[in-house]
Amino acid sequence: MDRKTRQLILTLVFAAIGFAAVFALADRLELSRPPLPEGFEDQDLSLQGARLKGYSLGLEGLVADWYWMQSLQYIGGKILRNPQIKVSIDNLNPLNPRLLYPYLDNATSLDPRFTAPYYYGAVVLPAIDKRQAILIAEKGIANNPNEWRLYQHLGFIYWKLEEYEKAAEIYDRGSKIPGAPSFMQVMVARMKTEGGSRETARAIYRQMYDEAENTRTKELAELRLLELDSFDERDGLRKAIATFKETNGRCPKDWAELLPALRNIRLPRGLAFRVDRNNAILDPTNVPYVLNRESCDVTIDLEKSKLPS
Amino acid sequence: MSIFQQIGKITTIARNTFREAVRDRVLYNLIVFVLLIIAAAIFLGDLTDGYEARTIVDLGLGAMLLFGVFIAIFVGVSLVSKEIEKRTIYAVLSKPVGRGQFIVGRYLGLCLTLLINTAVMGAGVSAALMIVGGGGLEYKIWGAVALIYLELTIITGIAILFSSFSSPALSALLTFLVFIIGHFSASLRDFAANLGSGSAKAFFGFLYYFLPNLSNYSFITNAAHGDVPPAGYLATVALYTLVYASIVIGVAALIFSRRNFK
Repeated sequence: MDRKTRQLILTLVFAAIGFAAVFALADRLELSRPPLPEGFEDQDLSLQGARLKGYSLGLEGLVADWYWMQSLQYIGGKILRNPQIKVSIDNLNPLNPRLLYPYLDNATSLDPRFTAPYYYGAVVLPAIDKRQAILIAEKGIANNPNEWRLYQHLGFIYWKLEEYEKAAEIYDRGSKIPGAPSFMQVMVARMKTEGGSRETARAIYRQMYDEAENTRTKELAELRLLELDSFDERDGLRKAIATFKETNGRCPKDWAELLPALRNIRLPRGLAFRVDRNNAILDPTNVPYVLNRESCDVTIDLEKSKLPS
Repeated sequence: MSIFQQIGKITTIARNTFREAVRDRVLYNLIVFVLLIIAAAIFLGDLTDGYEARTIVDLGLGAMLLFGVFIAIFVGVSLVSKEIEKRTIYAVLSKPVGRGQFIVGRYLGLCLTLLINTAVMGAGVSAALMIVGGGGLEYKIWGAVALIYLELTIITGIAILFSSFSSPALSALLTFLVFIIGHFSASLRDFAANLGSGSAKAFFGFLYYFLPNLSNYSFITNAAHGDVPPAGYLATVALYTLVYASIVIGVAALIFSRRNFK
């Protein structure tokens, strides 16, 4: 082996050892770093988008993209960092996600025609602060008056707030925009007559699922549709439990006992109960329902099921 | 000396400047750019939740602008100073080449380098958009690319102007400051309008027109929405660039022609 080859090998070995040490040290530093005061990660270090606009050297869109990506990672990151906190898609406040609105607001101030943050905010913010959800959707409409989907999202927020008259008014305004689907006009009538019904909810989430431009909204709408299916299934199970109780004078001790009674229960839209190999009845996320023998009622397994309620 | 002879000399200097830039591996930045765009095309789908096309436009054209500005500044300020430092300027000027022709040739040579750089980058962004399904954005970005190139030609002129009388480090700093302030031109105008004092108003109003208004070249955010700059607007910006760059290069040539190299 000549001198040059030896030098090369020695350098490579040294670099490999050095990098291995660096990796180990980096992990060690990460673990031994003194803890920061609680809530430090939420220190509002992000500048205001409106003010940033003049300082981004013509790269407003790129900075808006950065805020958009931040907002997408924000909730997921909080959940990963706080596994002990139990959250549902109806209430994300235990995570203290107070920067989501500023991120979305900044993204849309820097690029007012960037519609994704408005849609995302309208779907996710109701679980944090409904006022902020309305603000972001209204900002979207002010900046993009011809985007009927923003009216759909604002109508959705008012529907969540059970303000059906207001929701009908918003759907009506959106339905007049060229290109708006007939669904918008259907929702006007539905909000006025049966705003709080399960079928209205199904129509809203079905439309949201079909029209979703990002996977998060699609996933959320899908989960809501599964939840609605589960409500129908739970209604059917309760009927079967009541029949069993009437016939036997007691609560069934397990799902297997209830199976014969379930054959007479018809679920809406051709749905059928699904049973696993242990004769347990499964919810739409394939987790067995829980039969609470004390209250003689059915619930979902809140620990394992992906359903929000 | 006929106009054709003068053009011939300028062309020769420009061609040599371009060759020099290639020899100095200036175009190697394209490799970094291509890697950046490939990484963006692969990873942005997840990170942006389906909005990768617009982010590729923002990121690609943003990188094109910043890479171009750094080339314009660092290569631009060294074009003249390097010749003086290495004393090769004596060899050039001992030939029948005017100092003004030297400056114009140098400027055009770097503009040619930047043109090729920008065109290759634009093609890279278009290719990335085709891969992710840009929905027509791959063609629509070229108006914004043209505006970026025009902005770079202004920055190049300013870098050469400063380097004609100042040190390379100071020239680079001053050019970068002009790039930043140039993007605040609209704020200068608004600031002037809000001032009470007449002289302050006149001063900031003067600055607004004196400094290049680089916000006129900002079209990246619009391009991400599929907007194309109107032909009339592009033509006006091109004319503004031609006039402004001519003034800057003219002044640079004047200063350089009076400079004493002893």
